[in-house]
Amino acid sequence: MNRREALRHTALVAGAAALWASLPSRTWAALAAPTGWDAAEETLLTLIGDTIIPSTATSPGAGAVAIGRFILTQTHDCFPPEARATLRRGLSDITASSQQRFGTNFSVLDRAQRERVLTEYEAQSVAAPHPLRHIKELTVLGYFTAETGATQALRYDPIPGAFRGSVKLTPGERSWAL
Amino acid sequence: MANSPTSPGAREHTFDAIVIGSGISGGWAAKELCESGLRTLVLERGRDVKHRDDYPTALKNPWDLPHRGKLPRDIVTANPIAKKCYAFDEATSHFFVKDAEHPYEQEKPYDWIRGYQVGGKSLIWARQTQRWSRFDFEGPARDGFGEWPISYDELAPWYSHVERFAGISGNYDGLETLPDGEFLPAWEMNDVEKHAQAKIMGAFADRHVIQGRCAHLTAPKPQHLAQGRGKCQARNLCYRGCPFGAYFSSNSATLPAAAATGNLTLRPHSVVESILYDDATGRASGVRVIDAVTKQTTEFFARIVFVNAACLNTNLILLNSRSARFPAGLGNDHGLLGHHIAFHNYRGSLSGSIEGFEDSYYSGRRPTQLMMPNFRNVRKQETDFQRGYMVFFGAGRAGWQSGASTPGVGAAFKERITRPGPWGISMMMQGETVPRKENHVRLSTAQKDVWGIPQLVTSIGYHDNDERLLKDFFARGQEMLEAVGAKKIVTRDSKQNPGLDIHEMGGVRMGRDSKASLLNRWNQLHACSNVFVTDGACMTSTGTQNPSLTFMALTARAAQHAVAELKKGNL
Repeated sequence: MNRREALRHTALVAGAAALWASLPSRTWAALAAPTGWDAAEETLLTLIGDTIIPSTATSPGAGAVAIGRFILTQTHDCFPPEARATLRRGLSDITASSQQRFGTNFSVLDRAQRERVLTEYEAQSVAAPHPLRHIKELTVLGYFTAETGATQALRYDPIPGAFRGSVKLTPGERSWAL
Repeated sequence: MANSPTSPGAREHTFDAIVIGSGISGGWAAKELCESGLRTLVLERGRDVKHRDDYPTALKNPWDLPHRGKLPRDIVTANPIAKKCYAFDEATSHFFVKDAEHPYEQEKPYDWIRGYQVGGKSLIWARQTQRWSRFDFEGPARDGFGEWPISYDELAPWYSHVERFAGISGNYDGLETLPDGEFLPAWEMNDVEKHAQAKIMGAFADRHVIQGRCAHLTAPKPQHLAQGRGKCQARNLCYRGCPFGAYFSSNSATLPAAAATGNLTLRPHSVVESILYDDATGRASGVRVIDAVTKQTTEFFARIVFVNAACLNTNLILLNSRSARFPAGLGNDHGLLGHHIAFHNYRGSLSGSIEGFEDSYYSGRRPTQLMMPNFRNVRKQETDFQRGYMVFFGAGRAGWQSGASTPGVGAAFKERITRPGPWGISMMMQGETVPRKENHVRLSTAQKDVWGIPQLVTSIGYHDNDERLLKDFFARGQEMLEAVGAKKIVTRDSKQNPGLDIHEMGGVRMGRDSKASLLNRWNQLHACSNVFVTDGACMTSTGTQNPSLTFMALTARAAQHAVAELKKGNL
């Protein structure tokens, strides 16, 4: 019995089979794009998010969870309208920084150059709220609450079964997703 | 002439007992009355919520929620009051009253958090359950602001009665200030919490750090399994409703038990407009109900009425139950109905960081915290404020959420924020407030709700005593966190409005003296003996404990008294 089977069994015992069966599996890429943003802007955001949280040996990066679409949707749905302007300011600042430092667009820089641009931008004192703070907040939220981030970059245990107060942490062990 | 369907005597509208409200106390009234053989009508103003079937988000993963748990801005801006509740989010908002649906007038700022559905707020409560001690019952008389008509010893067997059925986890701590109950195994502490416990109890003789007690089945007993409830899975997603039935709610426990007797009629969408008073008998004859959907008015009749509409709505119903005998509201001969509302002072919290313990972690999500029973003014008045506070504690390691404010990008950044971060420790207070006559609710003379019932005016505020108590909590909290070795200690006054504690109590208080109170020692209205009030409205004082367990015990006790009196022909 694998993990999913075990959980299904537990839910079944509790009479929650109907709920379990009804679980949707949605991804951000499947959601409609917020209006007012073109595909290039969304792609740029995804690349910024993937630079903040890149693919590593153990788990894919934020680009693998359609992070640009998530940042746009979340900004539109959950933040005051001013956040859209902050986001646009961030994209334009990052584009300008790329041009200024490397003479080309962010999207054609290699990873080290992209990290350089974002690191320098993060350290710059710009008008508050700092756009990179907004982008980073949503990148972190979107990635670690996506199935990929929660289950591969972290440890995801939706039904722990018990609380153990003292567990030895071995080197390299990851945080809980929940 | 034959009775019309809504006349007294018409069987489909006549019951032995009526219970107004299906929340944590109404559920208990229903269970006790039904199990005693009374045909009982439970009136619930909101929709039906069936255990498990109507918990649509209970098993959802974070990625199944469109905004990953955050509420869209249109919902947030439309609910300036509800949005302040910590439990109101994308996975739970369907269990909370939306501001626009049920307006009220705030004479002083008051955040009224409500759950209008079968099960009421028992679906979304914080589930912390502690008995009161004798000091809590005796304190108001000692301090001269009220008098409980019952003692701890009288309520103790009823605490046991409800604890055995509900399932309460906790340790047998042997403290006079927080009596032990009928416990299931307690939750564990983590290593930093054990460290904090040892340091604090080593430094302060009268301050006991114990594991929190909560209504979760840590090891279900046969009576819990018989209810169809199972072991707590340590998910800590309780506010969505528990598909395992692992925490106590009306939906999972008392209402099914009541229904199993065959004596329960549960009627959702039933807004009680008033309680009907019969001059000929000197008693209540029933209730007038407005159907929330059709807006049609109906009347139901019974020999006894339990009012469990949740504190402020219980006040509203009684205030609106006006008759020639009671022009100012049922039982209100002295104008005290709606007065002496009190709550819990939750404003203060502290946090700090703890160094070390880097190889220690935990697994699972515990649905409770450590706590410290009140240690202020317990045996005598010893501070510049009246009464005291309970303290809640917790320690944990920073998680991925701290990544939002962690500098850096790239693989090293990702690596850092996916590992457990430094330990933090936090403390919050649950302070007693003194019921004051000026803190009151009354009926609006100008505004009515969509069913034509007067809206409620809330006039409830803080007092200097609450400020002094808060100051003391900050000083004692600071010295305790220092004793633990915490660094970067921060104190925070949320300045939150009364009400956000969701521990509103009083307005229909119990007391020995019918001139100074509304209810007798059995929760009967002094002036109308077949009406019982056993929700938060009956509370003479607030104690420092989470109140629901006491509401449950008072309800079960009053219901059994009502049954006995009915059998004797006294009601």
